[in-house]
Amino acid sequence: MPEPVKITVDDRDLEVVPGTLLIEACRAAGIEVPAFCYYPGLSLQAACRMCLVEIEKAPKLQTACTVQVSPGMVVRTHTPQVAEARRSMLEFLLANHPLDCPVCDKGGECELQDMVFRYGAAESRFVEEKRHVEEQQWSPVVYFDAPRCILCYRCVRVCDEGMGVSALSVVNRGARSEIAPNHGDHLECEECGMCIDICPVGALTSGAYRYQTRPWEMQYVSTVCAHCGDGCKTTLSVRNNKIVRGNNRDHSGINGEFLCIKGRYAYDFIEHSERLRHPLLRKNGRLVEATWDEAIRTVASRWQQVLENRSASNPRQPFGVIGSNHTSNEENYLLQKFARAVLGTNHVDHHRTADFPALVASLRAAPRTAVNGKGTLPLARSQDLQHASAILLIGDNPTDQHPLLAWNIRQACRLNGARLYVIHSRQIPLLRQSFRFLPVAEGREADAVRYLCGEPQTEERLLGTTPGGREVTPEVLRDFRDCLSAEKDVIVVFGAEMTGAAVGLLVQAGSRLQGQTRYIALADYSNSRGASDMGLLPHLLPGYLPVEDAGARARFEQRWNSTISPTPGWPLEQMLAAAREGRLESLYVVGANPLQGQEPAEFSGKTFLVVQDLFLHETAQAADVVLPAASAYEKTGTVTNTCGELQKLRKAGDVIGTRTDLEILLCLARALGVPFGPARPEEVLEEVRQIVPGYGVSLIQVLSGGAEAVIPDEAAAFPPLEANGRIYSAQDNLFTSGTLGRYSRVLGLVPERKTRLLPPPA
Amino acid sequence: MPFSAQLEEKFAKLLSRYPVRRSALIPMLLYAQDEHGHLSPEIVAEIARRLELSVLDVESTISYYSMLRQKPAGKHHLQICTNISCLLRGGQELFEHAKKKLGIGAGETMPDGLFSLEETECIGACAWAPALLANYDFYHDVTPERFDRLVAELRNGRCVPDRPPMPGSEHEVRVLSKRFNLPDSASIDTYLAHDGYRALGKALKEMTPDAIIEEVKSSNLRGRGGAGFPAGMKWGFVPKQSLKPKYIVCNADESEPGTCKDRLLMQNDPHQLIEGIVIAGVAVGAHQGYIYVRGEYRYLQEILERAIEEAYARGYLGKNILGTGFDFDLAPHTGAGAYECGEESALLESLEGKRGIPRIRPPFPAVVGLYGGPTVLNNVETFCSVPSIILQGGEWYARLGTPRNGGTRLFVLSGHVNRPGVYELPMGFPLRKMIEEVGGGILGGKKFKAVIPGGSSTPVLTSEALDTPMDFDSVAKAGSMLGSGAVIVMHEETCMVRAALRIIRFYAHESCGWCIPCREGTSWLNKTLTRFHSGGGRQEDIRLIHDLAKNMFGRTFCPLGDAAAMPIMSIVEKFRDEFEMHLSGKPCPFEAQPAELSV
Repeated sequence: MPEPVKITVDDRDLEVVPGTLLIEACRAAGIEVPAFCYYPGLSLQAACRMCLVEIEKAPKLQTACTVQVSPGMVVRTHTPQVAEARRSMLEFLLANHPLDCPVCDKGGECELQDMVFRYGAAESRFVEEKRHVEEQQWSPVVYFDAPRCILCYRCVRVCDEGMGVSALSVVNRGARSEIAPNHGDHLECEECGMCIDICPVGALTSGAYRYQTRPWEMQYVSTVCAHCGDGCKTTLSVRNNKIVRGNNRDHSGINGEFLCIKGRYAYDFIEHSERLRHPLLRKNGRLVEATWDEAIRTVASRWQQVLENRSASNPRQPFGVIGSNHTSNEENYLLQKFARAVLGTNHVDHHRTADFPALVASLRAAPRTAVNGKGTLPLARSQDLQHASAILLIGDNPTDQHPLLAWNIRQACRLNGARLYVIHSRQIPLLRQSFRFLPVAEGREADAVRYLCGEPQTEERLLGTTPGGREVTPEVLRDFRDCLSAEKDVIVVFGAEMTGAAVGLLVQAGSRLQGQTRYIALADYSNSRGASDMGLLPHLLPGYLPVEDAGARARFEQRWNSTISPTPGWPLEQMLAAAREGRLESLYVVGANPLQGQEPAEFSGKTFLVVQDLFLHETAQAADVVLPAASAYEKTGTVTNTCGELQKLRKAGDVIGTRTDLEILLCLARALGVPFGPARPEEVLEEVRQIVPGYGVSLIQVLSGGAEAVIPDEAAAFPPLEANGRIYSAQDNLFTSGTLGRYSRVLGLVPERKTRLLPPPA
Repeated sequence: MPFSAQLEEKFAKLLSRYPVRRSALIPMLLYAQDEHGHLSPEIVAEIARRLELSVLDVESTISYYSMLRQKPAGKHHLQICTNISCLLRGGQELFEHAKKKLGIGAGETMPDGLFSLEETECIGACAWAPALLANYDFYHDVTPERFDRLVAELRNGRCVPDRPPMPGSEHEVRVLSKRFNLPDSASIDTYLAHDGYRALGKALKEMTPDAIIEEVKSSNLRGRGGAGFPAGMKWGFVPKQSLKPKYIVCNADESEPGTCKDRLLMQNDPHQLIEGIVIAGVAVGAHQGYIYVRGEYRYLQEILERAIEEAYARGYLGKNILGTGFDFDLAPHTGAGAYECGEESALLESLEGKRGIPRIRPPFPAVVGLYGGPTVLNNVETFCSVPSIILQGGEWYARLGTPRNGGTRLFVLSGHVNRPGVYELPMGFPLRKMIEEVGGGILGGKKFKAVIPGGSSTPVLTSEALDTPMDFDSVAKAGSMLGSGAVIVMHEETCMVRAALRIIRFYAHESCGWCIPCREGTSWLNKTLTRFHSGGGRQEDIRLIHDLAKNMFGRTFCPLGDAAAMPIMSIVEKFRDEFEMHLSGKPCPFEAQPAELSV
């Protein structure tokens, strides 16, 4: 740690880390220095001139955003000269700025408004004609009002430096300077809306939110985005029980200011016209509306029969349960508990998109040296990526599938000079940031890892010309390996391309690197990790404890006051096959659409199918009973993102007629006459914290809008390395989100949805 | 889309000149425009593709430069300068005449596509005003009658552009311009026959780099671009060791209104400039130089290209210069119409192919400059002074001028004098004598009213200041700046409100728009002064005009804001009575029929 620099600001003595910008030093000490163009983490502009301050011995006012502190610096931020400079800048700004605050979306949370209120220039001396340009719509979600723009260039920079998209720039010069989109009159970009969020005034406004309300008329509910596995915190702005905006208002939580199109706009599925608001029962082959009572009774009585007819001689298996990537930890935990303890089956699974069990197994088996200092499994958190010095990415396309992690990787490369190593079969956008790239044929990722493990015989399988025309020579391979070997404290990020033994190899390769290698497995959806952690798996109990392990079973049997079958259950595909072939009495599908893309009719009548979800998707169409469920935005609970960060869901609204999956489960248990619980999400979480390895974390961060990392550490039991069942990514892009994404108006509206393709082969 | 063979050749040559592809962008655009008349979407897309840039990026750059256009112009694109020096000599009347004669307005093209017309900012012909550019050809002292003849000649395709003369004066001390009147003065043979490249030989063979810098320091040579920073000191800032290559960049973006001296230096003695640049390279250990020439000076670019070719052929450029093992490459680079690019950091951005937005300083170019390498940036005249300093010694040069203001400089006398022109005079030459004896007194025997001593960005001086010696320190003491040495004289019939308006209009046009006070301040002042001058003024406007300028002063991102503010403040302060005279609600009292002004 270098010696702090002593400076004086407004007669206060401050000690500051050398190299700190004066504006940051002042702000850290609670001394207000206004600025429009200065924005932490983005390049410096010195354009708005609002941060001018007096520095002793400087002949004129200096911009605090560009001056670094130096020893003995004496600064004044509240002199008449400074006040006059601020006032005059605002007067200049307001000259051509339309004073349409009463109809401007930004009114009430506008930085220009606030500054004028604080620093004056409320009365304008400008009597000339104002410059006028008509408002432009650049995309379904981005509107631009040029006269309101103060040219702080935040939007241009966040799009270029932050997003790496560069869809905005400045055209013309002087007073005619204007922000312009990349396709003449419209934008073609990622539609992330970061430019809107970062705009200090109402120049860039949101097509989803505009003219709906005023900021002071809303309630703000911070929760976790319902879409991808990154688990961004999104703050939903609610007016009259209606969500009208998504952003991360206070830039807190794991994602700070970042949100992609889904976190910002794709809350709109909740009010989609096809949203299920009544239970449906199949009568005479057709699904018809029913009351909750009727629906629950129907399911319970049928299940009761199945339970009663259960016998070893019955060739039909009684129950299969398919859980969700989207429901809360509490619901997932209770669902597998319900399956195992009430329905008596290990046939529990969900659509698995990352091989967490294999990662946990490999890490548990790996030597415990140099692990976290705490002896826990070396799993990286999402923000660790921002501070990493080197990152190895294998597979996945984070830009589309993990926008926050991609943002973090870009930040690491841009702000900290991190070196990104990529092993991939496609030309993913992150190659722009990559330091070394090893192109491989599709499915050959594991061979590249074998090569890194020092298996020279794999070299041959990697050599040659790739479809994209890249030449992989022995030198390319050696260079990649040698550069990576020189790195320390690498974070390894991998997608569904790596499963089973390949993950074991990866951990082996990682343990050959210097320092502490940490890992992130990339799973698709908001609670994919939570589903795995909570044991929605046929062979593993919560916390990756094998069902075959007597000690592991005992742990839960005791708590549940029940017995658990020691035989691993069927994975999802096997359950579906059995159901299709009539080998399963009943299939219970919660928050999932395993029949996606299939003909529902093929399924009807073969098994008693109960589906609870938001929409009448393919699986629901095949069901005998459909129960309308509440979405993640309509419930409380917790979710765990792909990095294992536990966060809290907060309820932002209600959709009449729906119930949370947890409520539905309890209703079913009650109707079956089985004591089952706990009943409240908080109580379920408490049970989870007590019994599930890794979840015994402090809740202080979680409850206050932050996150806590869960590390499923349990040295006692080793899960099997090879997966029992299929693991694959749905390859969603920025504008799709599984079945859920079909019901978002905004995701369906943006034109890029049609043109966003898989990146070309490498 | 395919380009012509010539264009392909030019592109290939351009790409070989720069370590970064993007640097070729602006010249490529300009050359493509020369051939195709304008930059069509197809051309833009093709150039973007070749340089691996986005179309938006290219369009953002195009829209910054006033010479680049995305709409067609006439076969003969006539640009009439109405900036201050031309204004004082009838430029506005010429422009009004041209509109009538051609029957088109500003920015319009004749139906037959033969002529298009544009009112332009200073083109660097201030001493031969009023002047116009027909495509890249200069025409000087254009009266309405000459204009009519010119139009006829252009129609017939028989027209010889003007080359500016040096009228001469017995007060001149010719150091920089000593070879100007020699026959074929721009050729390397003439140069070599008259001390040419001897200084380079001396610098390479007899001097250490430090000794060269010391010699320049002792000469008291101060930057001739406008700021007057000691050249030797600037060179001394360049770090000896550098991981990145060092560069020498010559600022030939002469565009300060009133200034047209670098034109003569490049036109008449290009090798003197080349020699000065190479010596700077020797002094700081740089091996690559660029001459950034303003886009309007196309004929000078051609002269420089030729001279550089000659110098390569004779071994004064390239590998192993004079057998000493020293390598130096030099290339000219064209701008495309932006005053702001005369600011050194904006020039570097422009040279890197971007919009000419200044950089945050520090770091200064001497440490982090072109392509991130240490860079010496000097004006044409500054580099041209170097060979004489090396040959005849710093002290000799210093003694030509006044203390701390060494040597001679090319003063440009324009406006209301009988003999406007470019004159090489020693630093410290008295202003009164310059106007009365060198310039032959005030035009038409009228009375002197005011003088702008160093280009339009410097505060105006009145008769009390006439005894000021024309060196940096003395002019500063008198309340103005020596700037680029462009002396603009105004007689008693000049409307100072109009002068202020014309000046601010220029800065509003040239403001890059980056920072709030300059972007908004210049445009606000332009609007208010336009209204004020045409009879719509209010009493409170006088204070407002002064306030706005004051609020810009010292607070903008780059010196352009100060450049715009200083003349306005000084005119309001010194000619408040003329502002009061405009308050009667009637048109300007100095002008019978003030021309319609566009904002």
